[in-house]
This record gives sequence, structure tokens and C-alpha cells, in this order.
Amino acid sequence: MTTTIRRRERPAVAPARDRGGRGLLRRLRQDWWIYLFLLPTLLGYGAYTVYPLLASWWFALLDWPGFATAGTFVGVENFERLIGDDLFWNAFWNSIVFLVFAVPLRVGLALALALVLNRKKTPFKGFFRTLFFLPVVTTGAIVGVVFTLLLDASGPVSLALVWSGLIDSPANFAAGAGTSLYAGIAVWVWKWLGITLIYWLAALQTIPQGVHEAAMIDGAGAWAEFRHVTMPLLVPFLVIITLIDTVAAFNVFDLMQTLTGGGPSFSSEVIEIFIFRTAFQATVPQLGYASAAAVLFGLLTMGFAIAQAVGMRWARGRTGAS
Amino acid sequence: MRRHQRILGSRPGAGSAGRPSMGRRQFIGGAGAAALAAALAGCTGGGQMSRESGGSSGSLQWWDQFRPLTKMLQDHLFAPYMKEHPGVTIERRQMNVPDLGQALQVGRRSNQMPDVHSLAGLGTSAAALVSQGWFQPIGKLADFQGSPVGEFLYDGMHRFDGEVSSFPLFSGRWHEAVPWFNTAMLKQAGVDPEEEPGTWDKLRDVARRLTKGTDDGVYGIVVPSKETEYLQFLVNRLAMTAGAPGGIDWATGAYAYDAQQYVDAIEFLTALQTDKVVHPASPSMGPRDARARWAAGQAGVYLWGAWFIGGLRVDEPEAVERGVGTWHIPCPETTRNVVYSPPQSGTFWVSSQSKRAKDAAQLMLQMTTREFQARLAAAMDQPPVLTDVVEEAEVHPAYRRCVANFQDDVRIAPAPEVGTPGVWQVLAEMRDIHPNLGDIVQSVLTGSTSDVAGELRRYTDAMSAERERAIKVVREEKGVEVGTEAWVFANWDRKADYDQQAYAER
Repeated sequence: MTTTIRRRERPAVAPARDRGGRGLLRRLRQDWWIYLFLLPTLLGYGAYTVYPLLASWWFALLDWPGFATAGTFVGVENFERLIGDDLFWNAFWNSIVFLVFAVPLRVGLALALALVLNRKKTPFKGFFRTLFFLPVVTTGAIVGVVFTLLLDASGPVSLALVWSGLIDSPANFAAGAGTSLYAGIAVWVWKWLGITLIYWLAALQTIPQGVHEAAMIDGAGAWAEFRHVTMPLLVPFLVIITLIDTVAAFNVFDLMQTLTGGGPSFSSEVIEIFIFRTAFQATVPQLGYASAAAVLFGLLTMGFAIAQAVGMRWARGRTGAS
Repeated sequence: MRRHQRILGSRPGAGSAGRPSMGRRQFIGGAGAAALAAALAGCTGGGQMSRESGGSSGSLQWWDQFRPLTKMLQDHLFAPYMKEHPGVTIERRQMNVPDLGQALQVGRRSNQMPDVHSLAGLGTSAAALVSQGWFQPIGKLADFQGSPVGEFLYDGMHRFDGEVSSFPLFSGRWHEAVPWFNTAMLKQAGVDPEEEPGTWDKLRDVARRLTKGTDDGVYGIVVPSKETEYLQFLVNRLAMTAGAPGGIDWATGAYAYDAQQYVDAIEFLTALQTDKVVHPASPSMGPRDARARWAAGQAGVYLWGAWFIGGLRVDEPEAVERGVGTWHIPCPETTRNVVYSPPQSGTFWVSSQSKRAKDAAQLMLQMTTREFQARLAAAMDQPPVLTDVVEEAEVHPAYRRCVANFQDDVRIAPAPEVGTPGVWQVLAEMRDIHPNLGDIVQSVLTGSTSDVAGELRRYTDAMSAERERAIKVVREEKGVEVGTEAWVFANWDRKADYDQQAYAER
């Protein structure tokens, strides 16, 4: 009752912010231990994610030789230099090519494998799932080193191709200017196929068995069932799996650095290697310039993503209109 | 929800009052967990607790890249020093060159520098680092000037503003293109190791004979091409044997990468490839990988530095037992040209963050004695600065021969930063140009380009333009008096070392 009277006494336009502020304070006082437990995570996230992210934006505006303890403010000069830097654009396009080829390959192959491994009749399903998942738990740098040996001209892949008559002379797949980037893509897809496979298997298991049975009763063949029943139900998963794999395709430093080092002649230099090379391997390391590259790459990819989303919406609208 | 609570071990109904409550024990437990998490967050990647500064811990920290020196440094430098000075503990970390460069950069910014370190992987002149306050002088803490290496100390390289900051542990008389060969393989192919291939053509012939006269999968030579730095050094040295002064013509001060000798050197490497005598996996190899392949008997000849045999003895000792020999660096013609190396920079430096500078300086001074230099030679890394000790040191005959060959093949080149202190500021201002010499060689060897002369000309022009830009910046913005004439050494005699007297007479 008392509460009711007090509420009536409050001004009719009591600011929501005030209520919210009091509510927050009350929550903090009452549930303080929740926030105490959250604190280590918040501190860790702040120190290792938020701070580096914000710092890179600031660093991008500095001329900072790596040997100095601090940089000097130069405004957007680093960005102006980047625009005219052919090697930045080379790395940028290499990253885009990596993305464009690797993500559909990984998502598509994993889906095909998941369909096979999800069938009741497939033998040794557990064994094969483990087999495909094993590379996922192997360190990327180790995979890079091992594949350097497997893909060089005296390695088994080259020898097998020569023996089978598909190529005339031994080839260095990871060290050839025309093949190094694609060798990296192939190894990356192989390494991470298992995790996407798990996502797809989980997605497939959400489809009720009754739907498949109904399709069979209606006389749908395997392809028709996949196209008209399974795939439409998997579309929401396709979106999220593609997004996860796209993010992963921008994090290929360990593999590419050990497999190709970005070479030969920068043919497989993706943006992460460009940033690393500029920040740590230049005669005079340029931390500001490297940060600017990271920021600009982030902005450009964001621009691409937005343009893609707008384009898709536009295309969908046109299709709907017609 | 209830099921989840049971799974998580909570007491059923604990949360039924509307909001969870927390007892004193729970709070203490939670606070302990938070403290543990905070402590873990403060740990470094290596599992060691972070230190406030490099010099504040109980031990003297020492970082370098000299793997072959590991045992020698421990047994003959650190252990005796720690025995004589019971309060001193020395901890050494040996890292690969790129790792060391990165660790030093990060350590510098986070106040975690070691007390003593080398400069490998930083890729810049010591003078540039001195200007950024990286080091502290050690000349007053130990008498380097009066030590046996005193005559090798140069202003602008080891001595800054009259104070000694470092000293050359190694000799400057060396190069990275020493032909090391597998004696057993040579015998198998019917090649007499004593018949030295003094010319490029003769080396090609030896490589052909090795490829033909040995088992399948064995090649005459290995040329690791994954790391462009190796290719840059190799071609630079080969071009010098053809008569090039190096990347800079000291007579004019101009960049000279577009000289015909560089084109010839690159074409020599492509000729080896065309002959199919180069190990086919070479493009995937770094220098250490190539050494491992050579040690495994997959290639007969490998051109690398004097440290090749010291590294072999540590990592692949059986290859040394099997037989290893060396020749002079071959020249294109029978007329021999020499190669040029600048005076050796200081090897170890004491960090400005160190609080154990005196111990560090005393320790470093012990490295200048003839006894230590002889032990250094025995590790068979770079030749010691007192090269004459190699004659009496316990070294492999091939290493002794290698160092003797350096006396014939190498002359000390001028160093612009010694003659003109402002040069380092220009070098520090200069940005990398790509494709550089190593990138160009890699492109040619992997078939990405065939316009060798054009690429070299573009690189030379770009380097000249970048130096001009850097000179302009340091003159206008920093008021430093320096110009391209700082790179001109008109009294440079190609056949002689450019010594202290030559600088004085310049």
C-alpha cells in the first residue's frame, strides 16, 4: 500500500534515465557478487580485445618506428601512403581471393561430407568423423611446416602427380608464384573442414526424421529431397556457418606464414602477413603504418559486407517485384 | 532449470527466493577465484611472472641468437663468472633471429629488456638504436679501449660521443657465400675435393658431376629460396666476385644494384636451375632447412657462412664426421676479385633499462681475451675478431681453411656512419623498398619475372630516390648536416682494407 502511495507522489514525467540509474544502482548493490565474478572476464576482454582494437585506431595516426617507445602524430598520412602502396593492395586482393575460394569450398565440402556421414547406412561413421576432425586440433603452424614438405618438389604429392603423368616435372606447389596462394587455400580447407562438418552434422540432426519420411512417401528421390526439403531447412544454418567460416578465413596468419611466408614474390601474402612484415620485419619497423593497414582493411571489408548486404536486398526486391 | 542446477551441483531450491544470496564462504571463494584469475592474467606467455623491468630481477638476463655458442658461453663465461661473483646469476635465452628481433621490440616497449642482448633481427644500425636510448655506455665500467680489441673500435659504430657502448666480438672479414661440400659425395661422384672450382663455370661442372654421379634424389647444389634475405646476400657476394663494389659504389656514393655484375650473378643461379643441378625443393627451404637437407646427403654443395660447420656440429654432428670441406668463393673468371664487408658492428649491448650494467660490462670484457677468443673460434660460428687465434684453436680443418680463405677473399669496406655521424639518421628515416634485391632474385628463380635488368634498374632508382627523400627529411626537420657525399669515399682502394687511417685521410 505504501508503495502505491509513493508511486503516486512521483512526478508523472519521472525521467526514465533516473529510474534506470536507480535500478542499476539497486541491481549493483543487490547482485554485486555477479559483477564481481564478471570482473575478471571484463578485465581480460577489455585488456586483450577492446584496448588493442581502440589502440590500433590511435596507432594508425602515428608515425611510430618500432625502435622508439612512442610515436608522433601524423594524422591520416599513413592512410594516404597505404592507398598508393601496391603491396598493400596485393595483400588485400590475396585475402579476398582466399576468402572467395576457401569459404565456399569449406562450407560446400563439409556439407557434402556431413550428408554422407549423417546417413544411417554409412559404415564407420564415428571413425570418419574423428578422422576429419583430427586436423582441427593440430596447430596451424605445425600443419604449415608439414605441408611445406608434402607440397615441395621432392614431396609425395609432386612425385605422385609426376608418376601418374599429370605433370611433366616436379612442382613446388607452396613455393610457386602461380600456386602458392591456392596451396594455402587447399591446406586451410583441409585443416578446418572437420569443424564445419560438425556444425553441419548438428544442423542436419535438427531436421525431424518425419520430414524425410514424408518426402520419401511422396516419391522424392535423394536429390529432390535434398533440394526441396533438406536445403531449405538448412538455410538459416548456412548463413551462420558461412559467417563463422568467413571470419576464420581472415585469420590464417600461422598457416600461411609457415607454409609460404607470403612468397614467392608476395604471391601469397595475405593482409595479416603484410601487417606482420611491416610491423616487425621491416628494416625500421613501422607500427603506425601496420596499424593503419589493419584499420583500412577492416573498413574496406566492412564496406564490402555492407555493399553485399545492400546488393542482396536490392536483388531480392527486384526478384519480388518481377 | 532445476535439472541444470542439479547438474551444476547446486542445492535444489537455492534460487527459489527470487534472487540468489551469497554467504561469507562463497564470497571468500569467489574473491579467491578472482584473485587467481587476475594473477593468471598478469602472467607472460612463457608462463613466467611479469617483471617490472629487465634489470630488476635477481638474475642478469642475456639474449642472443648464437646457437653454436650455447655450451661455450655457459662453460667458459657464465659459470666461471657466477663462481667468482656468488651474488650473480646469469640466465641466457637463445632465440632464432626473427624471434629475437620481435622479442626485443616488444621487450623495449614493455620495459622487459634483458640486461645484455645482441641486435640480430632488428635490422637497423646500432647508431639508430643509440639515438633512441636503447643502450648505456660501458667504457667507464670496463677497459675496452685498452683490451686486445681496442684497435677494432670505431666511432659511430662502437663508440658514441666518445664513450664505448659495445665492441666487435667477431671479425668483419667474412661473407655468407662459402661453398661447403660433402667430401663423401664428391668421392662417390669422382670429384677431387682438392681440385677447387675457382670459377662459376667450374662450380656448375662440379654440380653437374655430383648430380649425375650420385644416387637418385641427390643434387649437386642447394639454393634455399624461401627467405629473400639469403638470396640478397648470396647475389650480392656473387656480384662482388664479378667485380661489383656492392650495393653502393664507394667511389661515387651511388647505388649500383643495376650493374651488369648483378645481372650476371642472377643469371648464374638461373643457369644452375636450368642445368637441373639445384635441389628441386630449394624454393621451399630456408637456410637452416637447406643445411638439414645437405646434412641428410640430398645435396653436395651449399653456399653459406662460416657458422655452417658450427651449426652442423650442434644439430647434425654425423654430417661433420662423414666429411665436410670448403673452397674459396668462385669468381666468374680466373682473375680473382674480392668481396667487401664493413667493419663488424658491436655484438652485445647493455640495455639502458639494466640495473646490472657493471656486471654486464665486466662479463663482456672477458670476451675480449685471447683465451676466450680461441674458445669462441672452437665453437666455429663467425670468425672471432682476433682471427689469428683460429690457427691455434681446436677447430675443424675445414673451418680453419674457411677463415684462411677469408683473408684472401674479403676486404673491409667503408662504413658511411663511421665517417659521417648523421648518416644513421638518414638510414633510420629510409623506408624499405620492395621488390628489393632478394625479392627480385626470388621472382626470377620462381619464374615470376624474366626482366632482370629492368627490375634491378627500378630498384636502384627507387633506392636512390628514397635516400634523397630521407636526406631531405633529416636536413629540414631535424637540422642534420648530411648529404649524398657522406657515401663517397674517394680514397677507397678496392684491393685494401678501409681502416682507421683511411677514414682520417678521407
